[in-house]
Amino acid sequence: MKLTRRQFLKFGGATALLVSGRLPTPALAAPRPAKVRWTKETATICPYCAVGCGIIVGVANSKVVNTEGDPDHPINRGALCSKGSSVSQLANSRQRITKPMYRAPGSNKWKEVSWDWALDEIAKRVKETRDATWVEKDVKGRLARRTEGLASVGSAALDNEECSLLVKALRGLGVVYLEHQARICHSSTVAALAESFGRGAMTNHWIDIKNSDAILIMGSNAAEQHPISFHWVTKAIEHGATLISVDPRFTRTSSKAHIYAPMRAGADIALLGGMVKYILDNNLYHREYVVEHTNAPLLIDPKFKFSDGLFSGYNPSKRKYDKSTWAYQTDSNGVPLRDTSLQDPHCVFQLLRKHYSRYDVDTVSQITGTSKETLIKVYKDYAATGAPDKVGTIMYAMGWTQHTYGTQIIRASAIVQLLLGNIGRAGGGVNALRGESNVQGSTDHCLLFHILPGYLKTPRTSDETLDRYLKHYTPASSDPKSANWWQHYPEYAVSLLKWMYGKNATPENEFGYQLMPKIDDETNYSWLALFEAMYAGRIKGFFAWGQNPAVSGANANMARKAMENLDWMVAVNLWDTETSSFWQRPGVNPADVKTEVFLLPAAVSVEKEGSITNSGRWAQWRWKAVKPLGDSKPDSWIMNQLMIRVRKLYQADPGPDPEPVVKLAWNYGPGEVDTRQVAREVNGWAVGDVKDNKGNVIVPAGKQVKNFTQLRADGSTACANWLYSGSYNEDGNMMARRDNTDYHPASIGLYSKWSWAWPVNRRIIYNRASCNIKGEPFDPKRFVIRWNGKRWEGDVPDGGWPPGAKHSFIMKPEGYARIFGAGRADGPFPEHYEPWESPVKNILHPDQSTDPAFKIWKSEMDRKGDPKKYPIVGTTFRLTEHWQSGAMTRNLPWLVEMQPDMFVEMSPELAAEKGIKNGGKVIVESARGSIEAVALVTRRLQPFRLDGHLVHQVAMPWHWGYKGLTTGGSANVLTPPVGDANTMIPETKAFLCDVRKA
Amino acid sequence: MSVGMLIDLTKCIGCRGCQIACKQWNELPAEKTHNRGSYENPPKLSDKTWTYITFHEIADGSRVTWVFAKDGCRHCLEPSCASACIVGALHKRPDGAVVYNAHKCIGCRYCEMACPFGIPAFQWEKPVPYIQKCTFCEDRLDQGEEPACAKTCPTGAIEFGERNDLLQTAHARMKERPDKYVNHIYGEKEVGGTSVMYLSSVPFNKLGFPTYGPEPLPRYAHIAMNAVPPTIGVVTVLMGGVYWIIKRRDKMMSQETDGVTEPTEKEG
Repeated sequence: MKLTRRQFLKFGGATALLVSGRLPTPALAAPRPAKVRWTKETATICPYCAVGCGIIVGVANSKVVNTEGDPDHPINRGALCSKGSSVSQLANSRQRITKPMYRAPGSNKWKEVSWDWALDEIAKRVKETRDATWVEKDVKGRLARRTEGLASVGSAALDNEECSLLVKALRGLGVVYLEHQARICHSSTVAALAESFGRGAMTNHWIDIKNSDAILIMGSNAAEQHPISFHWVTKAIEHGATLISVDPRFTRTSSKAHIYAPMRAGADIALLGGMVKYILDNNLYHREYVVEHTNAPLLIDPKFKFSDGLFSGYNPSKRKYDKSTWAYQTDSNGVPLRDTSLQDPHCVFQLLRKHYSRYDVDTVSQITGTSKETLIKVYKDYAATGAPDKVGTIMYAMGWTQHTYGTQIIRASAIVQLLLGNIGRAGGGVNALRGESNVQGSTDHCLLFHILPGYLKTPRTSDETLDRYLKHYTPASSDPKSANWWQHYPEYAVSLLKWMYGKNATPENEFGYQLMPKIDDETNYSWLALFEAMYAGRIKGFFAWGQNPAVSGANANMARKAMENLDWMVAVNLWDTETSSFWQRPGVNPADVKTEVFLLPAAVSVEKEGSITNSGRWAQWRWKAVKPLGDSKPDSWIMNQLMIRVRKLYQADPGPDPEPVVKLAWNYGPGEVDTRQVAREVNGWAVGDVKDNKGNVIVPAGKQVKNFTQLRADGSTACANWLYSGSYNEDGNMMARRDNTDYHPASIGLYSKWSWAWPVNRRIIYNRASCNIKGEPFDPKRFVIRWNGKRWEGDVPDGGWPPGAKHSFIMKPEGYARIFGAGRADGPFPEHYEPWESPVKNILHPDQSTDPAFKIWKSEMDRKGDPKKYPIVGTTFRLTEHWQSGAMTRNLPWLVEMQPDMFVEMSPELAAEKGIKNGGKVIVESARGSIEAVALVTRRLQPFRLDGHLVHQVAMPWHWGYKGLTTGGSANVLTPPVGDANTMIPETKAFLCDVRKA
Repeated sequence: MSVGMLIDLTKCIGCRGCQIACKQWNELPAEKTHNRGSYENPPKLSDKTWTYITFHEIADGSRVTWVFAKDGCRHCLEPSCASACIVGALHKRPDGAVVYNAHKCIGCRYCEMACPFGIPAFQWEKPVPYIQKCTFCEDRLDQGEEPACAKTCPTGAIEFGERNDLLQTAHARMKERPDKYVNHIYGEKEVGGTSVMYLSSVPFNKLGFPTYGPEPLPRYAHIAMNAVPPTIGVVTVLMGGVYWIIKRRDKMMSQETDGVTEPTEKEG
């Protein structure tokens, strides 16, 4: 028998004391010997937020005995926050499930089962459900080849290679209800940033924050959610930067800010619109940048209008715009007309001025509740970065994304940054702070219904042939100076098909295009729609990979209820979560729930090998430190075993349409998946000889392509994700690089040989805009790239063309960043709308109070709150000490110790009105449900006076649920079932509720 | 030459990485806590919690500030705990760390009473209880590593180094930004000086830091020491009784399935 030191002392030590009256021997009682030297050390990346901190895992006797910050890692330099510091407890947790489990219909308990049994049974269910719900053709007789009876969510917790496999498996099975965390955390980011600049990701990266002169943190609480970002925020402050925090609550971020501006939750566009007006009125914009790099000089159709809260072309019955007037005026060649004097009344610049002329400080103050003095302070300090040699950054997260107009809030910030000339610059950018370790990667691999890896479009039934599909999504430009990078769409799409179907993808069969599931033109299959369909009983089988929608989705009661309508569910997780145990949630009799549930134990990050992509687009490799705990298995193994079994079933009994499944290129071996092989597939390789346009072989068959410039549309290359092409080429695994030297001549902290960043290891995207059209940097001291007469120096440029040869925003067909963004559903300029549930009318246009284009659901669970009954503005937030739905933190004793109970923050004024005492129990209720919480009465919250009304706010963390070491009410029980007009990300950051003493 | 820590509260974001890094390195279990209307938890230092962050909301008119302060052993230059220890179980190492040798301890808890900062904590739940406190991560110092809390601090609020260098840094920072810092390095002079020192933007008494003069406290310990001979017999008898009670409770506790304890605790 082996005893730990502590056990020995308890057991033997006490005996010694009693028998001899002496204390334990010095050898036993001395401090623990130096453990670092005992151990094998492995590098990994933290599995919590998306800062991507390095962790050293110390292993002794095949067990994780120590985890601490990796001192060589350029981002965290040895530091870790409280979650990162607790990873050893995660690896060893006894709360983890270590055996496959099964819950029979109506049963009230789990039963341990074997992997073989579980996988065989799940494979059978998959086939049965797929075959029973198969849609071969749509009503118009066009090929659909999809199932709407299977759904899958997750996961940002998977490695990139696993995401890639999962996409292949699910698309191969014809699944179209395919969603994950990205939908509900940053989908509006992708819609806004891709529209504005061309790519849907954080523009800069964590270390780059140090280069800023002004940092606006709004819609984010970075000090709490991304604590290591504050290493770099603190560095910037030490160099003289101003930190501005705009937040409904005074947070740990606000505690470090020079300016704190309290703002009513949901009023962000008003505040930012006021900033646009301030910049224009005071001529603080960066004129050369605005003229050369944005669409401000471009002329818009004179018929374009905005009045009474609506842009031209609105159809109220469809809640949709006809966007034909939101278009550029063009010359006879189709090149947009420009007025570089910015004077033409139809140029974007003048339209912008007119649009925001209504956003004066008085009006903004009445909407936001922020004092005029504070607003002006914020505007003045931030707008100062419009000077060419000054730069400001914006850090935001869910406070912006989760609104019915979330995309437009982010668009507003993009406009501010473009006016100030802050995009593409060191210390600048619109920095979407992503909250899960690989949510950037899982987004890039597009575990989302509407896109395929690398942000290619999911085919729709109207895209009947490959040719039509490619024409539909490949933009054209007549401007010779537009790089129009998406002109390469066919190369990426065909390479993707070659990866999907291998030898079964030939020029003769449109590279297997007809094997792909096609979604209906008019149907939305996103998160809210998925749970509506599940609630309506249309979805029969459901996978939840590392995701816990019973806690994380808006209107959680509906999601939980919807799960009861499933025939079967497969939950793949480290823990038994609220989702896997939905059938034994409080108030439910398990006997009434007929859903079969399979719970499969997954390996934790240190138990497998693969890459994850942080918020700054760095794909970093994680090495395996220990074997998976008990019988748990890497997700890649589970996917592989499942697909092997499903394919076998289809070979034995073809059913209605086996072809898409059996023709899938699924060659990942019989056992453990070699994730390096998958990573090489993600990079892309030559299937046949790849030739240049002169016919010379540039990549011989079988070799890895260098990057996406070597991908071809002729079937000679296969690539699982063109964006990651270059990550694992013939030079090796670039994501595993660990050279922490800053090679940039101006030491702006790019660390270009540490890991690998998409695209093509470019660390700051849109960097051509950091220079004027002569290639001279606006800020020579902190230049990103500069032209030395022959070539660009510094970061990998956004295209190697000489300065002035091409417009700087190469992903947009017109070549300019969009201040006027015609591609969005609810308007080319952001306009202030009230949340779906608001205590006040929109004072700008009371008859069009809310966003005109988001979808309103109509089931009996989709209830809207009346302000008379629910007068208080509610919002949700995250804590440093917990994470997401809490599964990964409410199961760790150290983190539970720090934040043991669900609570709700409120002002002393509200507490006094309701007779609530700090620390007392309260009920928070909305039209959807009610929860109990501890009242945290704090002056960090304050009531607002809005247009004469006194409005109270409460704020709640959303980490709690009914499983784990600490249980409590889920804030998402309260949140509303409506989503953004562009992406349907739910509006969880501003809703109505009431609060009372419990 | 002796090491120290400079804790600049103006840089602390209250992430509590230090609080967990300490537990992680020193293998300390979690405590059972509940939300008392504050983020602060556990409520105080204990044998299981050697350092923690205290949260202070300070209202100044309509303006609110939120200050986070790390509490834990200050590693006094002249530690009164060591002076009070009748068996020499506590001592200050030449490098500055005030450490504890369980082998010598008789569990009299004089150190607890002598400490001006309320640091040493008794293992009430153990059959063979020890005094527990921050060791300055002496096992890390011995390997040339900085203490776990300092290493993990994201913003550099906890700086580890030679005490004299840190003092210079602190003075330079105050001189450069007199508008930002109160003119006080807590620990520079208090109780004769401590190895752990603080800078703050708000007066230390508002953060619950006790006010002490520059006089070292060990002389108070001598007063306590005089009480030793008559007490020792009583202590012996009492300890026997206490042990019996604790052992019984421990046995009962081990039968509970309270999850909020470290797994190894359950193995006992």
